[in-house]
Amino acid sequence: MTYLTGEPLTSVLRRQAEDQYAEELAEISKFDKRIRPDRWKLSPWAVCSYVLGGRLENGFVISPKYIGDRRTIEIAVASLTTDRALLLLGLPGTAKTWVSEHLSAAISGDSTMLVQGTAGTSEDSIRYGWNYARLLSEGPSLSALVPSPLMRAMSEGKIARVEELSRIPSEVQDSLITILSEKMLPIPELATQISAIHGFNIIATANDRDRGVNDLSSALKRRFNAVVLPLPKTLEEEVEIVRQRVADLGRGIAAPIEPPALEEIRRIVTLFRELRGGITLDGKSKLKSPSGTLSTAEAISVVNSGVALASHFGDGTLRADDVASSIVGAVIKDPVNDRIVWKEYLETVVKDREGWKHLYRACREQA
Amino acid sequence: MNEPVHIFGIRHHGPGSARSLLRALETVKPDIVLIEGPPDAESVIEYAANAEMKAPAAILVYRPDMPRRAAFFPFAAFSPEWSAMRFALNRKVHVRFIDLPHSHQLADVPADDGTDPQRSSYIPPDPLAILAEAAGYIDSELWWEKMVEHRSDDRGIFEAILEAMTALRQELDENPDITERRREASMRQAIRKAKKESFSNIAVVCGAWHSPVLGDLKSTAKSDAELLANLPKVPVAATWVPWTHARLSYSSGYGAGIESPGWYAHLWQTTTDVESAWMTKVSRLLREHDLSASPAHIVEAVRLAESLCSLRHRAKPGLAELNESAEAVFSFGSHLPLSLIHDKLIVGDDLGAVPLNTPKVPLQRDFEQHQKSLRLAPDAAIRDLDLDLRKEIDLNRSRMLHRLELLDIDWGNIRSGVRGKGTFHELWKLEWRPEFAVSIIEASIWGNSIVDAADNRTVNLASTAHGLSALCRLLERALLAELPSAIQTLIKRVEEESAATNDVVQMLESFTPLAKIARYGNVRQTSSALIDETVRSLALRISIGLPAATQSLDDDAACVIYELIKKFHSSIRLLQNQEFELAWLNCAVVIVDSSGVHGLIAGRCCRILMDSGTRSHDETFIKLHRAINEVDPQAAAAWIEGFLSNSGQLLMLDDILRTIIDRWVCSLTDESFEHLLPLIRRTFSTFEKPERRAIGEKIKRSDKIAVDADHRSSQLFDPRRLSLAMPLLNLLLGDGKEARV
Repeated sequence: MTYLTGEPLTSVLRRQAEDQYAEELAEISKFDKRIRPDRWKLSPWAVCSYVLGGRLENGFVISPKYIGDRRTIEIAVASLTTDRALLLLGLPGTAKTWVSEHLSAAISGDSTMLVQGTAGTSEDSIRYGWNYARLLSEGPSLSALVPSPLMRAMSEGKIARVEELSRIPSEVQDSLITILSEKMLPIPELATQISAIHGFNIIATANDRDRGVNDLSSALKRRFNAVVLPLPKTLEEEVEIVRQRVADLGRGIAAPIEPPALEEIRRIVTLFRELRGGITLDGKSKLKSPSGTLSTAEAISVVNSGVALASHFGDGTLRADDVASSIVGAVIKDPVNDRIVWKEYLETVVKDREGWKHLYRACREQA
Repeated sequence: MNEPVHIFGIRHHGPGSARSLLRALETVKPDIVLIEGPPDAESVIEYAANAEMKAPAAILVYRPDMPRRAAFFPFAAFSPEWSAMRFALNRKVHVRFIDLPHSHQLADVPADDGTDPQRSSYIPPDPLAILAEAAGYIDSELWWEKMVEHRSDDRGIFEAILEAMTALRQELDENPDITERRREASMRQAIRKAKKESFSNIAVVCGAWHSPVLGDLKSTAKSDAELLANLPKVPVAATWVPWTHARLSYSSGYGAGIESPGWYAHLWQTTTDVESAWMTKVSRLLREHDLSASPAHIVEAVRLAESLCSLRHRAKPGLAELNESAEAVFSFGSHLPLSLIHDKLIVGDDLGAVPLNTPKVPLQRDFEQHQKSLRLAPDAAIRDLDLDLRKEIDLNRSRMLHRLELLDIDWGNIRSGVRGKGTFHELWKLEWRPEFAVSIIEASIWGNSIVDAADNRTVNLASTAHGLSALCRLLERALLAELPSAIQTLIKRVEEESAATNDVVQMLESFTPLAKIARYGNVRQTSSALIDETVRSLALRISIGLPAATQSLDDDAACVIYELIKKFHSSIRLLQNQEFELAWLNCAVVIVDSSGVHGLIAGRCCRILMDSGTRSHDETFIKLHRAINEVDPQAAAAWIEGFLSNSGQLLMLDDILRTIIDRWVCSLTDESFEHLLPLIRRTFSTFEKPERRAIGEKIKRSDKIAVDADHRSSQLFDPRRLSLAMPLLNLLLGDGKEARV
């Protein structure tokens, strides 16, 4: 792995998965006696163990990369062994990109064959582009061709990743169809084509809740197996994820701060879960859900901005006032309907709940 | 000579077991088949081979004196017991049930009144879980499925089961519960009896758990006789009732404990290419519902299931793998396909049927009893029935007819329109149709008495009904039929729906009946806490959502909301709860202060605020003026209508209000007065005639005083010009006689 930087590796803000977890991958590979599909670095079973964590026969501990249901990962890995590509669906903050990176690191030992989907992604970045200087001087030839990450993955038999597939314009999305069904990429300019070799497949990620996305055509849908990454199952799991991530990010703030009280995090996570699920956690009353996604990622950012507010402008302790405004901001995305939803929730649930008085007051002031 | 007694340990409702059993029976060719089942129902076994009989069906054993004490024994087409019965009946071989008779099991009356019949049969803890756990399976069903049901080669399987169960029962060293021991004793006795009657080839079909202890007939003979001596006994009756696949599954009351009857039925019908056939069914189902599912999808789904299976080191994909691959291939992140697959295929909506000549079901007995006590004989001719609900018997008749209506037995039809005339009269049109006999048998899956059945049915309807208004209509019917637990469920559902809906109109519609229940509590056994909570959340939700719902309405929509607001206001006052009142008045303030609200509604809210003292008369006066002078006359009239309608008495008694209106009328220019006259007249026409006259009198008198005062003090009013206005005013307010100033 090369990083184009003069600084030592340790100052790289974020390292690739296969680089950061190289030791774990090497250890697993040593003990992996099962059948590996062509050009897979590990067997499907070992890929699952790498992602979900565990302990090897020699006592080596594999850290869990994904906390959640085992069967979700199993379906994802099994999909990659079939003809169809894998599409990871889910709300923002459900670790789609994270899972796709680790899957490709474990399967191909390379997670860099990446196309980032945006509204401006062109067909060139999915198929190939041209080195125009060369094209003009030498005429069309393979050496004047600039291959896309996808094209390279095809010829090297690796896993390619397409991030945010549904943000890519529909007509560009559809250029994936030939690659996925024919397993080859025609280059009409050179009257030739690149054929994919064994080991090639695509992991795409897409957000199924956001608005303003380009829905996949049914022709393309048919070439993907969709696996939905769920939101954290239990309150405890989600509180733990938020706590860990906030602790990680807290290091970025220079001011010394107290770690936020677990109670406060629990309240925020509870509030998010209840509004998201449309039902109170005790299951007694139903609620309206606001238009926003209210994912774990948003809960993390609410706590984070609360912590920053408390440490820079308050006494360092996270209080209801510090989080109230960002909670309101996260919940009310649509000024009319969401406001009704939020007021209903405040008046029918928050108001009477034990220990939530200060949060109720802080939120009311915001509204 | 062969072993005279063959013991076949089966898994109840296991299609693989059924298949193995049939093959084994063909080989053994028994001269009698003994089945683990209630001997009380032996007389009805013969119906199992009837051409009109269609599984799933259940044997019902009940006490005729107490139909609620009953036990159901459901059979599906793939149940081994069902196969064994039909095998024996088709070959004219003797068939008997050998379990402990229910005449004993139903004899003891439990502490409560036995509203929960399925509890009456003893359910042992799952003994197979231990074996499964030893084999590394979390789910014992799955283990059994893999070990037994999925085997294509089933020779020697019953010996293997017998051996495994023998080892298991020795290992557990369990001291079984007395009922369990009696059941096994009774089974052994039945085998002894068959032997004594010189049957030489006896087949015993029983749950695998019992199989090891039925072989030993010698050493247990004495203790068995002791165990079964002197048991209490009651008369019981037995019959068949139609059953459904849904009722075989966990989710329903008398569940047989199989989660996936539809899948089992598929395993029963299909022997080769189970996975592909299943996926084909899945894709056909999805296509029926306009979801894309091509043959290419099927291929991919089967392949994914197979690779999942190899990832998990299984020989064959089970339902779990098939579901997961269907989810990945077909559903694309939506829940609809999976829930469709679950409801239509995994559970299935098969409904069984029983021959018409089967013995009567308890519901029918209950119904006949009611007919007798209420003196309502079935009559094919149409006749009218006028019920006076103040009389006990008529009230009961009305309840029963309403309950029958909820069971889709439309013996009586209520004559609409009559109900509005008086609250204690109901007019019914009765017409008995013979097919109701079948309807009653069908309805018997809901319960053994009319009230239970109607209650359960309504609870079921409540859980599937959508929309607040549908629920409220159902609630109204449940109230009339007086079904306590259905009312509970409905209120809960109303609460849920109102939380999820944005439709304030529906919430307003449902509020009035609920408020009445909360205030007067006219329903027995309805938990008032539940209603209070629902009413509270509805009141708050309406108060929060109403301002947005009153924005930009046309005349018709405004009229609807206007009427609902009036009802809502009176319901709130009925409840006399400060919290609601405050929330509602705050809501009214928001409505009054926002622009774009229809005059009718704004006027009414303004009036409500004035009456409650939230807004002073002066403030109201300002609003009144603004509303009238700044908008077009149509809206002004609407505002006045909203403000004043139906309250002539108030205008008559409240001097200040009258002064406000009076001042306003006087301050109008001639032109606008003429313009507004017909509109105002419309408002005043909603007052009672004596009220109008009284108002006119008062105006006349106060005018006199005013005129006198004006004469004395200043010349503010020109009496000559005033007299010109008087005839018109009199026309508007007075009794039509000539004005005298």
